[in-house]
Amino acid sequence: MTDLIKLATSQVDQAELYWHREHKIDVRYENYTLQRISENDLSSAALRVIDKRRIGLSCGIAPDRAEFLEEAKAAAQYGGKAGFSFSTTRKFPIVTAYDDNTAAQTSQELVLLCEAVKERIARARPDIALLIQCQASTEQITVETTDGAFGDHRFTKLALSFGAPIKGAGIGVYKHKTSISPFGAPEELVEEFLEWYGWTEQASTPRTGRLPVILAPEASLLLTLPLCAGLSGEAIVKKTSPLTKRVGETILSDKLTIIDDLLRPGDPQSRPFDDEGVPCQTLVLVENGLLRTYLLDLHSAAKLKKASTGNGFKRSLFASGTEVPPRPWPGHLVIKPGQTPYREMIAALEEGILLTGGMGFHSGNYTQGVFAVQALGFHIVDGKVRGRLDRTMVAGTIYQDLLDIRALSKEQRESPGGLAPYILVDSLQVAGARKR
Amino acid sequence: MRETLLDVFTAVDADYADIRYEENKKTVISYEGRELRKIASYTTSGGHLRAYADGGKAISSFTDLKRAGSIAQASIASAKLIAKHRDKQLQLADAPVVTGTFLLSPKKDPRTLSLKEKKELLAHYNTIILAEPKVITTVCEYDEFYSHRTFVNTDGTAVEYELLIVNIAGLIVVKEADLVQQVRFAFGGNDDYSKLLNREEDLEKRIARACELLGAEPAKAGVYPVVLDPDEASVFIHEAFGHLSEADGLQNNPSFREKLQMGTVLGNPVLNVSDDPHLLDYPGGYLIDDEGVRGCRTRLIKEGVLTGRLHSRETAAEFGEPLSGNMRAVDAHFTPIIRMSNIFIDPGESSFEEMVASIDDGYYLVGAKGGQTSGDQFSFGAQWGYRIVNGRLGSMVRDINMSGELFSTLQAITMVGNDLLFSERGGCGKGGGGPMQLNRKSGKGAPHIKVDTVTIGGTE
Repeated sequence: MTDLIKLATSQVDQAELYWHREHKIDVRYENYTLQRISENDLSSAALRVIDKRRIGLSCGIAPDRAEFLEEAKAAAQYGGKAGFSFSTTRKFPIVTAYDDNTAAQTSQELVLLCEAVKERIARARPDIALLIQCQASTEQITVETTDGAFGDHRFTKLALSFGAPIKGAGIGVYKHKTSISPFGAPEELVEEFLEWYGWTEQASTPRTGRLPVILAPEASLLLTLPLCAGLSGEAIVKKTSPLTKRVGETILSDKLTIIDDLLRPGDPQSRPFDDEGVPCQTLVLVENGLLRTYLLDLHSAAKLKKASTGNGFKRSLFASGTEVPPRPWPGHLVIKPGQTPYREMIAALEEGILLTGGMGFHSGNYTQGVFAVQALGFHIVDGKVRGRLDRTMVAGTIYQDLLDIRALSKEQRESPGGLAPYILVDSLQVAGARKR
Repeated sequence: MRETLLDVFTAVDADYADIRYEENKKTVISYEGRELRKIASYTTSGGHLRAYADGGKAISSFTDLKRAGSIAQASIASAKLIAKHRDKQLQLADAPVVTGTFLLSPKKDPRTLSLKEKKELLAHYNTIILAEPKVITTVCEYDEFYSHRTFVNTDGTAVEYELLIVNIAGLIVVKEADLVQQVRFAFGGNDDYSKLLNREEDLEKRIARACELLGAEPAKAGVYPVVLDPDEASVFIHEAFGHLSEADGLQNNPSFREKLQMGTVLGNPVLNVSDDPHLLDYPGGYLIDDEGVRGCRTRLIKEGVLTGRLHSRETAAEFGEPLSGNMRAVDAHFTPIIRMSNIFIDPGESSFEEMVASIDDGYYLVGAKGGQTSGDQFSFGAQWGYRIVNGRLGSMVRDINMSGELFSTLQAITMVGNDLLFSERGGCGKGGGGPMQLNRKSGKGAPHIKVDTVTIGGTE
């Protein structure tokens, strides 16, 4: 038991310590040139206390800071009613997410990986402004409470990103790969980057109207961001979610099964416990289009008289880090793949869009499932890619427009926050060339 | 502290090095609906070191000051490794050596007030919102950030300076039948607590707007002429143009450097844009940046022509342009990157009524609702809007997002209003090649503007 938790035991009704330590090396190339190496060695801690049923929070760089407990007690004096208790669990699922080889990576080794990617792409496209970023990190999270909970999780991550802005346009094509273990230059990803970059040479604007849209894994936020906002236990408690009282009902196409899988072996996102010391699990959120459960942290679970699903994380759409109080949030969203090769999806479209990203996800009424984004991706005509999208917006409501999904690809790739296949949506409203 | 930091440099074999050490205090209080969800007041500290050696650069953030010496040595080794992989050495523009202390003197200093007093003020505003029957929940947040920073470099600059910003901001969420809408509000934006007081009337207006939105129709997809209100116009200039005026985004992007050479005609002569950290009443105000350079006003666009750019010492050397003092870091976990301070469109001569009268079929868009930019592409939302039909304001519209391409949109700004207004809450997210830095101290202002062509997304 840390000295802080020992001290807290005699001074407040309950206390919970969250302590995060991180060592990260980051290598960055811009325009084919090694630009910067950074190395961070950081520690941060948060203390929540419940005293006389009121909750308070304090933060610092490590648990040994003298004022830590006093500041949390002072905050609790004016704090809101807690309504829940901190975790008591000491047993967690076993999650493999650490590799000594990644922990021992040096900046020289990261430079070598970047050089391999650089040389491969330079052979094909010396004319682009290639950007490469490679990070090796080791993180350790400890959660301890005065009620006996204790969890300690160490994990490693090697992350590689590369891509280039499109000449003459602001957007670019970028690819990403992460693993808990070291890897070499990802040949398949490099090939896909080169193919996509080649597709950007021409700009093309689709007609205004309803068009079929293929959501690439990179664009799955269009679905998962509004969905997670709706599944959040907080939104259910406040009754602002369109999914309130809809467990067991069809909310999306029956082709969609979406799981928050925090126990995948060898995945850097996997976690044995959440940021409140509650065990994580493999949680089916949507099964064949049916809503199965919400995402709950200790607070929202208590309000709904249920158990936490182990989704209390110190992150949200706009903030993350030790200072952020835990909120219901997914850890690793996996959308199950289908059977269709994604190239067949493209070939089947008379006119449509391959959406690889969107700008402005957060500026729409996303909590209600509504999106309206500047579309990044490719215009498909007669089963072939005509060029990159230009001056195009895509809009819709996931609970209406994603009821009709034609196919899911058999390919499943890394997506923002998880894994996803290509998803062929029957139609979305597209604002492109002038039609008035 | 200055001496402690200078000691780190005694055994340093570098062309240049600097260290910034910070002690930061934050107070955050947050209501969500009737519930007090967060109350916290706390102190953090940490340092950031940058080293240039043989023309390479390495950086490091740390929390344990005792390790600064070994971190400096490791950073210099990394900088030398970089140098071996570069054909061209990184250089820094000469900057005046600055020494001294730059402390703030707020009119009503929030640091002197109790947590209880701040909580009661916030509860008062939250109660006003909750009194409206259509309100189903709120987010009402008090945010106070104070930073005491010490910066030293091997050139001899050694300064202590302060940052302080306080805000009350939040969301009013209303519901009728199945329709949920929300409107934002924000008070404050500088170091003066008194700006948070007596804002009941402003809040009531926002509550009324939120309720009106429940009767509004969704915007229709298409390409339209629009009038942007000052808040929305300021987000446009910040997101679409401002980020491209930050030289670190252009440094290694040859096609954009070509497009954005000084003297390029970007817009009509009615368009003038400036960045000014000396406007200390607004969120982006400061005296000295996190590279030890004094901030100054930069005329970015003058009568439609590109005339200035925001720089670090490194980019100023590379571009051969003047220093602007725009290098800033959110806190010690981050390296400074080039950030706008208070960016604004200078006032023009048109009235709002003249702009509306010039449009047959378009929209008047009000209130910023977040934005995003990538190079010359931008996308941002409006909190609400109105149809413009035959030169007159019509019915209210909701769920509005617009997007476009910077260069054609700048050319499409044909009227600039005479009613410059700065937003009370700033805020800007930028990665700059590293982790996302959400900067509270970023201000923006504009008068009403008319844009002849904007793409609006909609579900119909």
